[in-house]
Amino acid sequence: MNIRLKNGKQRRVLIINRGEIASRIARACRELGHVAVGVWTDNEPNAAHLEFCDEWIHLDGKTNAETYLNVEKILKVIEENKIDGVHPGYGFLSENGAFAKALTDKGVTFIGPHPEAIRVMGDKATSKALAKEAGVPVVPGTAKAVVDVKEALEVAKDIGYPVLLKAVAGGGGRGMRACNNEQEVKDQFEAVGRESLAAFGNGDLLVEKLIVNPHHIEVQILADKSGNVYHFFERECSIQRRHQKIIEEAPSPFIGDDEALRKNICETAVKLAKAVDYDSAGTVEFIMGEDKSFYFLEMNTRIQVEHPITEEITGMDLIVCMIQSAFGEDLQIPNQEWITRTGHAIECRICAEDPITMLPSPGSVTGFETNFPQGIRFDHCLYRGLEVTPDFDPMVGKLIAKGLVRDVAIRKMRTALDGLYIEGLKTNIPLHKVIFDDNVFKEGVYSTSYIGDFKPQEKVSTELDYLSLYKKLATVEARRMGL
Amino acid sequence: MRTYLIDANKDEVIVDLTKTIVHNSDLVEFEFSTCVDNSLVNKENIFVRRLANNYFSSLDGKSWRKLARQNLPKKILNVDRVFDLYRGYKPSGLSAGSEGELLTQMPGKIVKIAVKKGEEVKKGQTLIILEAMKMENEIKSGMDGVVKEIHVKEGDALDSGVLMMEVE
Repeated sequence: MNIRLKNGKQRRVLIINRGEIASRIARACRELGHVAVGVWTDNEPNAAHLEFCDEWIHLDGKTNAETYLNVEKILKVIEENKIDGVHPGYGFLSENGAFAKALTDKGVTFIGPHPEAIRVMGDKATSKALAKEAGVPVVPGTAKAVVDVKEALEVAKDIGYPVLLKAVAGGGGRGMRACNNEQEVKDQFEAVGRESLAAFGNGDLLVEKLIVNPHHIEVQILADKSGNVYHFFERECSIQRRHQKIIEEAPSPFIGDDEALRKNICETAVKLAKAVDYDSAGTVEFIMGEDKSFYFLEMNTRIQVEHPITEEITGMDLIVCMIQSAFGEDLQIPNQEWITRTGHAIECRICAEDPITMLPSPGSVTGFETNFPQGIRFDHCLYRGLEVTPDFDPMVGKLIAKGLVRDVAIRKMRTALDGLYIEGLKTNIPLHKVIFDDNVFKEGVYSTSYIGDFKPQEKVSTELDYLSLYKKLATVEARRMGL
Repeated sequence: MRTYLIDANKDEVIVDLTKTIVHNSDLVEFEFSTCVDNSLVNKENIFVRRLANNYFSSLDGKSWRKLARQNLPKKILNVDRVFDLYRGYKPSGLSAGSEGELLTQMPGKIVKIAVKKGEEVKKGQTLIILEAMKMENEIKSGMDGVVKEIHVKEGDALDSGVLMMEVE
């Protein structure tokens, strides 16, 4: 039986993504009675996300430019397969306004905000200008891209060091570099520009003041096509390495019991979303100083990697809501006060990387098992035999723990980390264990400088663990014996 | 049975399986030791049993921990080291690269070659920028010297373990 019969029209939803998020979206589509159409490339013929997709389409090509970023090819696929809606996930085309516009022009639903919102928020200069206009505080810096290193140096001198070089089109921590003095600006300018050009097709850079020991706090937004904008409270994502998040939690331990501050930052985010007539799921990111003053950083006009922790504390399914909102359906949320939160949720990003150097480390998964306590959710794309290639982001899964209070969530996470077995591939699991054993982290008094100050990678024991080696070899022998 | 474990730096660990005791069809006991300078150290007995289609291991036959089941793996992991497994034989022809040989540690694409053949370089100087997993990685010189040979060009996509440049 088609569950859509009583809920409305069945749609064909194309998922232009891979990995855990493609699985996550496919499951939501199935739940809603839509047809989940997944894609795979020559790089990944055995892509795990296809497991949850109803139809599989081959995008020929190996590089991302030939496949997940190839708008022309994707538009052709949409036409040939009578697609009603497209979910871009995160990364890839999720914040490509031209793509969203091309879909809208063809009468295909883009499962995300309207193209104008992506355009305005996708550009750091226009988003900052809009925030200012809407009365949202912003970090001091250039409003427009700097033309060359000379102008960058002038601006930096003006606002004072340390400064941050940021790609206009950047996001997710890429195309961003901190500079403490003139020399570093001179050294980094070209590299950051080149990286951004390669990653986002735009090498323009901004210069802004670097807030020392800041907290990265973001507010989850969900809006519908009728102009209703709701917030789903905040997340703190201050545990970062190279400006990329590795641990996120909700609610923020830094905001803690300060309900007035929480209300203020959440309502500020709603105010900004309303200023662009936002109509989908999105996140407003803020940087919060030690004095709890906060500034608008950027708005991510897409679903985010860390959305599950918000889902865990609010009990809402953000992906389902996002799809319903895109097709103009009622979200069945009576008002803001109806949205409540309970408990505390933490997410660890599990990446295929060396736990000491924190550099990506591709390879193949020879063994994968889980043994988790209650309260754990693991969104992943792992299976035994998976090849992690250097073509994609090294994140292979997200481990999410929920507890009544923060201590309980930490306890559950620590137990889950012990019960997550990934063999054959270096992962950052040992690094997470060190962080979850650290008292500073446990007390919740950390800022974005945590990884740099605490250096958990230096506390990971790299000594050869004979017992664990023997145990692993023993299972190999046992398997060979046919046990 | 002897197993050779060799990591990416060509460091090796030799483990000997000195005894196998089959207790019953679900429970086996192994005695392992490590071979260091021709003598066996770190002797341990490990029990393995199968339960609910998973492998569990124990040191005493009383307390058990689940282990990931692997299909006769060619690799085994210890924190930040992945060992290649050679059961019963030691592969020949494996030699460590010298300090001046720049080998790719992971597959990637050459973004930029910052030096020319014959150029003098200092230890720590950036020689090559390699893009892997969407990150630019600077490959720095491990020694003072002169660039003897460049085996790659900008834009090349390389596998792991490829010789990119020689410095002497």
